[in-house]
Amino acid sequence: MTNPGLQSIFTLADKILFLFCSILISYCYYFFWQSTPAAYAIIKSPHQDTYRIDLQTSQTHQVKGALGTSTIEVTQGQVRFTASACQNKLCIKSGWHQHNGAVAACLPNRVSIQLASTHSETSYDAINF
Amino acid sequence: MPSTSSMHDSNWQIKTGREDKLIAGFAALAISIHLLESTLPSPLPGIKPGLANLVTLYVLIRHGWQMAANVTLLRIIAASLLLGSFLSPTFALSLAGALASLVILGLAWHIPGKPFGPVGLSILAALSHITAQIVTAYWLFIPHASLFNLLPILLTTALISGTLGGILVSRIIDRTRSLTMS
Repeated sequence: MTNPGLQSIFTLADKILFLFCSILISYCYYFFWQSTPAAYAIIKSPHQDTYRIDLQTSQTHQVKGALGTSTIEVTQGQVRFTASACQNKLCIKSGWHQHNGAVAACLPNRVSIQLASTHSETSYDAINF
Repeated sequence: MPSTSSMHDSNWQIKTGREDKLIAGFAALAISIHLLESTLPSPLPGIKPGLANLVTLYVLIRHGWQMAANVTLLRIIAASLLLGSFLSPTFALSLAGALASLVILGLAWHIPGKPFGPVGLSILAALSHITAQIVTAYWLFIPHASLFNLLPILLTTALISGTLGGILVSRIIDRTRSLTMS
């Protein structure tokens, strides 16, 4: 029994398919790895209902958290924490956020900002088992 | 003697044909591979060699789509019962991947002239499998846009594992060409 060479294993259609898929996947890297700008920020805190703010309007928000007040600043499609009642200030150090899907959170103060590009709401983050 | 409807009546026995035995045998093989594969560590969720799917591909080429679908669905259900993941998210993802690749394999297999060899079929199955899984994961379990950042990496590994799997199946078919299954 002789082993067939690779040449005889691939049919013409196989070769074309392989090439086509390689190109398609290369394009996927470009398509899925470019970050899209966010349109809204969804603000969550323990003391008020979740609400969303438009990132195109420059504004400052005071959000009451578990420890005290967090200040959120919005300018030109970007958002950041400028002040927070927490100890380590990691939320402030995380800086500006502008990409869709990005999350900035102050865990001690239980205030979070999630960036989104559409109006779609989901009732949960993830389900595991 | 008039026949009775007791449990020992011969009519109660399920008649098994040659095809049923083949399905059972292939399913048993696929389940074993599936279980062995589930013990392998994975660098990233979703990356797996997909060795159990090679049985599907082999059965498709040797015995047709119907039997391949039977073997695959039996494998998914039985393996999930053995692993304790029946009806869990893992099972849902597994089933979604299997159904998608079976549909794509069915379409590709019935193209007149059968242009695709084992490698082409394997690539199609691997890519549709992982795409269906990530869409299901997004739809049911992790509705976060960042999930799709994984897609290019998963598709790349699927293309590689699909190609290697196809080559493997092609070799196996070549070596078992003289065997007649009975």
